[in-house]
Amino acid sequence: MRRLVTPLLLAACAVLAVPAARADSLLFDYVGFDYESPNPNPAAFGEVGSGYVGLGMVPSLFAPLVANTALNEYTMVISGLTSTNVMPVGSFDVVTYSSGTVTIYEDSKATGTPADFTPNPPNGTVPGSFSDGTAILVGTLTNFQYTFDATAGTGYFEAVFNATGGTQLGNFPLNQRQGWTFSGSTSNALNIPAGWSHQIDGQAFLNAPVATKHMSWGRLKEGFR
Amino acid sequence: MRLTTFEMETTMKRWLTIVSTALALIGAAAPARAVGPVLDWDPAYFWQPGATFNNMPAGGVMQCVGTVATFGPPLDFLNATMPGTEYTFYVNSLVSLGTTSFGPPATTIYTTFFSGGTIDVYADPTPDAVFAPNPPNAQVPSTFVDQPPPILSGHFTSLVVTTNNYTTFKTGSIEGNIEWTGGTLINFFSGPGGICPGLFTGGATWNTAPGVGIPGFLFRHDGKIDLQCPVPTKQSSWGKVKQLYR
Repeated sequence: MRRLVTPLLLAACAVLAVPAARADSLLFDYVGFDYESPNPNPAAFGEVGSGYVGLGMVPSLFAPLVANTALNEYTMVISGLTSTNVMPVGSFDVVTYSSGTVTIYEDSKATGTPADFTPNPPNGTVPGSFSDGTAILVGTLTNFQYTFDATAGTGYFEAVFNATGGTQLGNFPLNQRQGWTFSGSTSNALNIPAGWSHQIDGQAFLNAPVATKHMSWGRLKEGFR
Repeated sequence: MRLTTFEMETTMKRWLTIVSTALALIGAAAPARAVGPVLDWDPAYFWQPGATFNNMPAGGVMQCVGTVATFGPPLDFLNATMPGTEYTFYVNSLVSLGTTSFGPPATTIYTTFFSGGTIDVYADPTPDAVFAPNPPNAQVPSTFVDQPPPILSGHFTSLVVTTNNYTTFKTGSIEGNIEWTGGTLINFFSGPGGICPGLFTGGATWNTAPGVGIPGFLFRHDGKIDLQCPVPTKQSSWGKVKQLYR
């Protein structure tokens, strides 16, 4: 019996892991600014050893996240990323980072502290005013790659996103916790507070769920006869 | 003691230098303190017939339609989430100047500059905008421009699309500058030096995964427009400027 159970379990896993042509879904949208901490060379961006921090407002959140933007402020914190390589391509630098995290916080507008892009972060309000409240979603960011043209002042970044924690992690089906994020980036905006590097505007998607297929034990066994 | 002509000229030149420097300092435009974008959208979609992410042939015309998600100051009195009114925009007449590539084969970056281009933002009391595939068609761009006059109109003074062949999720950016020229709400963009220009910016993806891309559109753009208002300058007389140096 045990000999039969093992192949059946393996077979079941194989059947359950059939990918399907479903749609990615928008999870949240963010807009804010980024800076470096630590910042070994303030004259450069993305130098090896520098830390990347992205902070922003999250005006739009989508299922399976549950939000009430009328009562709460939602903020985003990208942190824990350290530059490991810089590859110049023309006037662009392609910067590769170690793994980090992204967290979405929910903070009451009535009783919480409003997020504030105070100049010259980190300081008394940055990132503190973004990381207060309840962490409703925590995710890892891997393969974080930032491309920026310091001459033109424009760039972009992307990363693999994997939901791992937060009070609303349970809203995410087990077969739909992976996704990705991307953002545009600019240093040309006149509203960038002193000490911040770029303005960022991006969003995160959840990958299409991995499909499951219902099958009887009898049919499953037939496949191995 | 009378000054010679040479000494008088020298003194005058020094004065001119001092005064010019002072005026430059007074008139220098520093960053504005408003932090949020005036207009944020998700999504917008671009299309250009015959173009690909790495080749937007010179002379081709790029267009874009989008739906506004949020408004910020000075248009924060508008509510983009009210179901009764739909805020949309249409970008047209961006003419490609051709795509330039650089970098090694495995890490190539493509930049495409555009000339011309207009943008119009609409408030539509009968929401109907739909990103129907394969534009132009019966719904694109018509359902994004069906309630004239626009609340804002302008033209692009620059726009550049940056793409590449190495990002996993096929991501880049689209950024340009806008000079506002009309629309029912243009006066809200008045600054000390006239109408504040706009910065059109954000990330772009040519990812065709269902739920991200739409057939027939080239780019999905997640972006916004910031007002590029300089800090007000202060009017002063020559006499007052001179007094600063006495």
